[in-house]
Amino acid sequence: MSVAAETAAPIDPRARRRRLLRKRFLRRPMAVWGFVVVVVFVVIAVFAPWLAPYGAGATDFNSLLAHPSAKHLLGTDELGRDVLSRVFWGARASMQVGFLSTMLAMVIAVPIGMIAGYYRGWVDTVIARLTDVLLAFPFLILAVGLAAILGPSLLNATLALGVGAVPGFIRIARGEMLALREEDYVPAAIVNGANDATIIFRHILPNMTSTLLVQATVTIPGAIVGEAVLSFLGLGVQPPTPSWGVMLQDAQSYLAQAPRLAVFPGLAIVFAALAFNVLGDGLRDVLDPRTTR
Amino acid sequence: MAQPLLEVADLSVRFDTDDGFVHAVDRLSFTLEAGEVLGIVGESGCGKSVTCMALVRLLPETAVVSGRVMFDGIDLLSLSSRRLRHVRGRQISYVFQEPMTSLNPVFTIGRQIGEVLRRHLGLSRSAARARALELLRLVRIPAPERRLDDYPHQLSGGMRQRVMIAMALACDPKVLVADEPTTALDVTIQAGILDLMRDIRERLGTAIILITHNLGVVADVADRVLVMYAGRKAEESAVDDLFAHPQHPYTLGLLGAIPRPYEGEGSRQRLQEIPGRVPSLRELPTACAFADRCPRADELCRTQVPALREMRPHHLVSCFHPGAT
Repeated sequence: MSVAAETAAPIDPRARRRRLLRKRFLRRPMAVWGFVVVVVFVVIAVFAPWLAPYGAGATDFNSLLAHPSAKHLLGTDELGRDVLSRVFWGARASMQVGFLSTMLAMVIAVPIGMIAGYYRGWVDTVIARLTDVLLAFPFLILAVGLAAILGPSLLNATLALGVGAVPGFIRIARGEMLALREEDYVPAAIVNGANDATIIFRHILPNMTSTLLVQATVTIPGAIVGEAVLSFLGLGVQPPTPSWGVMLQDAQSYLAQAPRLAVFPGLAIVFAALAFNVLGDGLRDVLDPRTTR
Repeated sequence: MAQPLLEVADLSVRFDTDDGFVHAVDRLSFTLEAGEVLGIVGESGCGKSVTCMALVRLLPETAVVSGRVMFDGIDLLSLSSRRLRHVRGRQISYVFQEPMTSLNPVFTIGRQIGEVLRRHLGLSRSAARARALELLRLVRIPAPERRLDDYPHQLSGGMRQRVMIAMALACDPKVLVADEPTTALDVTIQAGILDLMRDIRERLGTAIILITHNLGVVADVADRVLVMYAGRKAEESAVDDLFAHPQHPYTLGLLGAIPRPYEGEGSRQRLQEIPGRVPSLRELPTACAFADRCPRADELCRTQVPALREMRPHHLVSCFHPGAT
């Protein structure tokens, strides 16, 4: 009887696959933790105006460099601004840069990588070698260089980090394409009269979404850290607009008196980056069809 | 007589590899009439698949194809790739050997069949779905309404091959090329698929080119047989005539290699194999390609290429020493 009850799964295959994936995901506590933290940060970023106890630039001159208290949970900075509120507002810049720059990188890189892998020949040689050259520069150096050229602003930081992430995505998309173009459904699509664009984007692209998703979850934390670095160096978000990097920069001068000013935004960066990485790791395991658990 | 539906004349295919040219198909000619089933038989590597891939230019760029392929009055080998795409899947469609991997794993069956319909016939989503359902019914898939929303991994091999056939038939093509459609399937399923092929020919009048290395399959469904050896035509005739009066020693060898377990205890004998292997196709032969493996080979066979001769009405053989025994 109990066997019958267990096998009476929903018939809809999509629902069944979703259930299976959810079960596998829930069996990985770290991945679940990562997911929860990511959601918390996204919610904080989106609803900062309602969640933050004070405005981003609101000053309280009665309590400068105050210790954490009931009034200011994480204390205040040198201008009497509430640190907790600024961490909340700063999440906006980080999440925005993290998601947008990764999306930008994917939009640019995935078609290029796929075209290289599909047509091979000299097109591939040119693209692959250029990618190798770009990959030889560390991601942050590349982003810092681009941001310096573009000039400091949140938008430019997003562009710089997005472009910086392009080579990695090209390589992933190209590698996947090289493997997937050998699948039998490709000639099957050709004999059915599909043109190259249909084959590349409608037949092969959906088969690499899980790989791209995983790559995205490791690119986002890179971009978050990147944004902090750029802002710290004055190439990203400009003060007084809050961002975790800007807060670290401001905290530098008061490191001796109030190290907590650096600790809290620093922790925010660590947790956000870690959460995305852990989530990405979990997703990779879950989406890998060879996973049995 | 009217022009045949498909006329292949002097088709040669050679591959440009690192160690020089490999001549996969050498001046092959054949015709296919509307509604006819032509079986192409031969060992692995004798050029069957390459021939059929060459028809709609599916070969990689390393292949050099020459000759002429006339289909319904158009030359397929010189057609622009845009117009060729309108032939592929619409007029001539293919069923491959590997049903397990020829379907895209991330789309439902209904969507994959529907895509062909929408591309070639410009059907709307719902019309394509309705037609896909009809096609699944045509290829006799049980409970087609439910299968429409299934993913390929949920179907068995035989079912997937039926789906591939449904897809190939979607636009009512004039020619269906089936490249070893049953090889990857087990025997009972094979019989079902062959049954389906026969049914399709009768009901839709589709001409079929059936590639196989199994003479039993040919005997079962084909009207005419083309026996290929080392990229050339060894023998061609109507199917009954071939089995009744095989001429080429290679054909005889193939026939001898069919197991016949049900012909009584007395007649049971060892299966006859053909000694040796298919020759390498590096250079164009100056002799009969089968000479090294042929019991009848003599000096003539090793110095000249035998021409095709009509030994019986509509029965072509390329051999210096043809005959039944």
